[in-house]
Amino acid sequence: MNYLYFLYIEFLAKHNIPKLFGDITFYVIPFCIIAFALLVVVLFLVLAERKLLGFFTQRKGPNRVGYWGLLQTLADAFKLLCKENITPSRVDRFLFNLAPILAFVPVFVALGVIPYSAEFTFINTQTNVILYLIMAAFPVLSIFLAGWASNNKYSLFGAMRCIAQVLSYELPITFVILSIVVLSSSMNLATITLSQMSKFGIFSWFLFPCFLGFLIMFISILAELNRCPFDLPEAESELICGYNTEYSGMRFAIFYLSEYAMMFANSIFITILFLGGYLSPFGKYFMSNSFLLYFEQAFWLFLKAGILIFIMIWIRATLPRLASFDLLKFSWAILLPLSIINLFITVLIKFGGFLCS
Amino acid sequence: MTTTTLKLNLGPQHPSTHGVLRLLLELDGEKILSCEPDIGYLHRGMEKMAEKLSYIKYLPLVDRIDYLAGFFYSELLCRTVEKALNIELSDRVRAIRTMLLELNRISSHLLWIGAFLMDLGATSPFFYAFREREMILSYFEKLTGQRMMYNYFVFGGIRKDIEFLDDVQKIISILPEKLHDYERIITENPIFKRRCVNKGILEPEIGLNYSITGVNLRASGIDYDIRKNDYLYQGFDFAAVILQGKDSWSRYKARILEIKESIKIISQALDYLKKNEKLEQKHINPLNIRLPEGEYYQEIEAPRGLASCYIKSTGEDRPYRLKWRTGSYYSVNLLRKLLVGEYLNDAIAIAGSLDIILPEVDK
Amino acid sequence: MNFEEFFSIFEGCELKENKIIIQSKLYDVIDFVKNNYSFDILKEIIAVDNQSLGIELIYHLYSTIDEEDLFISFSTNNSEASSIVNIFKSAQADENEIYDLFGIKFIGNNELKRLYMPENWQGYPLRKDYVQDEMRQNWNDNDNT
Repeated sequence: MNYLYFLYIEFLAKHNIPKLFGDITFYVIPFCIIAFALLVVVLFLVLAERKLLGFFTQRKGPNRVGYWGLLQTLADAFKLLCKENITPSRVDRFLFNLAPILAFVPVFVALGVIPYSAEFTFINTQTNVILYLIMAAFPVLSIFLAGWASNNKYSLFGAMRCIAQVLSYELPITFVILSIVVLSSSMNLATITLSQMSKFGIFSWFLFPCFLGFLIMFISILAELNRCPFDLPEAESELICGYNTEYSGMRFAIFYLSEYAMMFANSIFITILFLGGYLSPFGKYFMSNSFLLYFEQAFWLFLKAGILIFIMIWIRATLPRLASFDLLKFSWAILLPLSIINLFITVLIKFGGFLCS
Repeated sequence: MTTTTLKLNLGPQHPSTHGVLRLLLELDGEKILSCEPDIGYLHRGMEKMAEKLSYIKYLPLVDRIDYLAGFFYSELLCRTVEKALNIELSDRVRAIRTMLLELNRISSHLLWIGAFLMDLGATSPFFYAFREREMILSYFEKLTGQRMMYNYFVFGGIRKDIEFLDDVQKIISILPEKLHDYERIITENPIFKRRCVNKGILEPEIGLNYSITGVNLRASGIDYDIRKNDYLYQGFDFAAVILQGKDSWSRYKARILEIKESIKIISQALDYLKKNEKLEQKHINPLNIRLPEGEYYQEIEAPRGLASCYIKSTGEDRPYRLKWRTGSYYSVNLLRKLLVGEYLNDAIAIAGSLDIILPEVDK
Repeated sequence: MNFEEFFSIFEGCELKENKIIIQSKLYDVIDFVKNNYSFDILKEIIAVDNQSLGIELIYHLYSTIDEEDLFISFSTNNSEASSIVNIFKSAQADENEIYDLFGIKFIGNNELKRLYMPENWQGYPLRKDYVQDEMRQNWNDNDNT
């Protein structure tokens, strides 16, 4: 980031703009970029999910709007924008309106933490793993608000289930992240990425010392995202639509988009922790130009995240929903002990040689 | 501390009630304390209409009693009238009717599989099941001109001779491998098993007491398949599917196995139809059907349980009283018993496993 | 099936075609045939309005063990019959339907309610004296509450 910062300040100095302005805007511009990029990514993700689900179920998926249905999500978003925002008469208006906003804001912060390539980390603190964790768990608050404020029993059930679910899956995630922190001796995502770098490429990723952790993490992230087979909070055959039953128009769209944005952010997070983040799987980069290198790194990051997203969609097309008690039992009785075991294993791998000698 | 229970109104507009069933649930957390089914949102007065219409005018309406298995109810009305008029069906008519009924049974069961898995949260099997069902419905459309309300059977026979037998051949040659696919994606799926095995146990005594028939009862281990004694099915080699599991999973498995038995029956009927070309049926003037005075009763094994038709005639050109018995009507009544003590998301799966369809309940 | 014992206990019953016609003691008769002749399914209850002869209730029982059907007919003139919900739970569905469409009050069944018809509907549609008069044609849910 420093490199970019100097470039930017130099650019401003050339045009006689004071440094103070540069200092302030340098931290604002990234969020504008994220906001714009996020919209594009989410629009693409929604389309990808619908196309893939269509493919899995032998349908065509959206194929009318734009070439190959590319503009379908845009058209849907536009339709939702034009629709009436219905506020039912018995809801708690303030919380009802607050919930969608709270759902979308943390996603920006979460995405700001992520190192997209060697220089692009918008919020680079020493402990940004923890910052990310907090932001990733934040949407549950908005779901709770939405469920409670809607004054609808189905919404309430959805919110209730969601809180139970996120609470119980947050713990395995934390333990797995702890093992990654042990392996890399750092709580900074950029450092975690760099500590997976070697000339062996793919073989130095944390996926291998911590494969169990990867599985636990992936399952828990699915649960935290309320995705199939853990989609109990919005199980449409039971709770109609769960916490967002009463939402319509743009408010619903915001919930919907934030869900996909969070899915994107979380798969990038897993990629950074286990799959080497922006590192090339071959151990060396193909681009020699330093500027193009950033794009190559970002490409690897998105490719790996894309594969994870594909698996998530694949799982959604295949599996039925878990029963609510199995869901909680699975977390507390299986995932949590396994994640602790995983922590032990990684500690042994890291310090085993030291202990023996 | 005072605590209250939560009253939840499940339906009539709800994604998993397969139509317009309304369940008034009393919940403690997510546990169901009592369940009160409320029906009547789809009532069309089928029995009252029968008293106002002559038989031939009434015949096209009965397909609508169960729009997923329309052949069964027109068959039932035809059979009751034929019984009253002492009309014997020729073997070819018998084979045609049997084949169409079994095809319709397969399409109905396929839809159930899709809808049941949808209730459990798996979306893909729904589309797979509909893809196979589509083949059958396209065949019906080719043959009768209609996809769901066929109006193909008439008193004393069928409207016209069977055609497009190659399509049927194709359907029954494709179906077994598709069923194999279902078994791979659904039957052995651990999550599916967790949600179905030992869930919604229907003890045989309770099933009998609640007048449950058809697949649901046979999955509880009671050998009661009316097809064995039905003269329509005489000469066909098939076995009633009896499973001992009593749970949702057995009800699912029984339907899969029943589709396989139906394929067997269809292939036998098909062999017969290909050999024998000539259609013989007695032509009766449909405008002048008057049943002799008396009571007539006929039953048939519909996909959702025993279906029966009772006609009381006073010698007029319309029934004095006509009564339908449908399987789903009693399954809805069973929900009062079966859902109590279950959790909400199991309850949806259990209610789904009983294969309730609302037009049949409301008539 | 041998019904000699049955006819010796319940006098005044007669066998007509395949139907046993009884005059009284409906509950006892059903209870008796269920326990003594193993008729374990009540397939349905058919109600027929025979106008001057009253409303006939035909109980259709079936035995899965002997594979045999049995029809028990009971006519009521005062729109009342005893409920058999305690013997066959499935009767709840049938009795409710008959209550709704024929207006027969089943004594002992406390959960009877209008099923297909609105709760404040006047008359019973499947009775022969039911006419679709002006009032019913213009019936509106809001007016008659």
